[in-house]
Amino acid sequence: MRCSDCRDVLNAYVDDEMMPSEMQEIREHLATCADCEREHRLLAETSLLLRDKLVRHSAPDVLKARIRNALAQPNAFDPPREVKPQRTWMRLAAASVLVAIVSSAVTFAAARQGTPSRSIADDVLASHIRSLMPGHLTDVASTNQHNVKPWFNGRIGLSPPVPSLDSAAFRLIGGRLDYIDGRSVAAVVYARRDHMINVYAWPTTSRTEETRSETTDRGYHLVHWRNDGIEYWAVSDLNRPELDQFVAAFTSATTASR
Amino acid sequence: MGQQDVDRFERIILPHLDDAYTLARYLLRDEHDAQDAVQDAVLRALRYFEGYRDGDARAWLLAIVRNCCLTWQRRHSADRFNISFSDDSAVDVSDARPADAAAIEASDRAAVNRAVAALPTEFREVIVLREIDGLSYKEISDIVGAPIGTVMSRLARARKRLAAAFGLGAQEAS
Repeated sequence: MRCSDCRDVLNAYVDDEMMPSEMQEIREHLATCADCEREHRLLAETSLLLRDKLVRHSAPDVLKARIRNALAQPNAFDPPREVKPQRTWMRLAAASVLVAIVSSAVTFAAARQGTPSRSIADDVLASHIRSLMPGHLTDVASTNQHNVKPWFNGRIGLSPPVPSLDSAAFRLIGGRLDYIDGRSVAAVVYARRDHMINVYAWPTTSRTEETRSETTDRGYHLVHWRNDGIEYWAVSDLNRPELDQFVAAFTSATTASR
Repeated sequence: MGQQDVDRFERIILPHLDDAYTLARYLLRDEHDAQDAVQDAVLRALRYFEGYRDGDARAWLLAIVRNCCLTWQRRHSADRFNISFSDDSAVDVSDARPADAAAIEASDRAAVNRAVAALPTEFREVIVLREIDGLSYKEISDIVGAPIGTVMSRLARARKRLAAAFGLGAQEAS
């Protein structure tokens, strides 16, 4: 075998992509040719280094949440459409269309149930959906409550409770500022499996304690409650019992820490 | 398509989401673009799912992801001219002073990943499909839509550049 013939197929040899008889020929040539054997070792080493050191990424939870959300849409089976270039303004436009659709649905749902703060429910659900778009979920990403809570200082007139709920199997993801019902509010993000939970909090002057209302729309569950002068909304596509469990864990942790 | 088909889709396709996302990350080199491209690819996969016959579901999904990424890249190349997709960036890396072999042995993941990120797209994709996903030449050829011979020569050239960038074989050559 000539060296040039050997070099031509060395990659296939390293990748085990040859017939056994061809492999045998190469093996015999490598045993007698130091130059080709050096080339072979170089290739094998390079391949091994790549296998060993290249990063294998995990699909982020927020991507899984977006995909599950999209799969649940009734139009998920529509024939393929052309992908439109999504410049930032187009994303915003798309978001507002989505927000408009969902908002009206929530409005109807809320109107049917006679819930008072339906425009707030609109805002909360719209904000939750917006938060699942890439790069929108958190301004401060941290699983440590001692990083997330101080981040709100000076950014907003409220230091929201950020309890660690690891013991209840709800992971802290981070926090961000958001805009609900005409005011800046704190949004604290938790996750269970790949379901995101947004908890919105802002100060209230209302004296009524212990109000609690629940809304459900398109697979999203919303819980509203009031505690210690703070208005809370939690929203997620988590199933209802688990979201209730979350709210229970959250309220008991915030009450205990007082 | 009914609920049964969606369940089947979720069972067969979604387990390969990590591989899909990894390929998109390497091709687009941006986590947000990669998320958008993978979401788009999964929805396309769902719509084409009726045309999917039993076979390697992972290779089938990766082919769709790869096409979505390239479409994405083309549409955005106008406002991303600061990122070079030409061979120039790879030349820079191979021209760079070869790193100390010991430093590489000391797990310089960052350097390896930087060198791969600097490869032209058509080299980068064959490296990812072969070295991370462990696909056969035939599968890679189907995914990138090029003959097996072309896949082989791209792999060979990509590995050659990377070996030089890693400074491998330098001590033997002297």
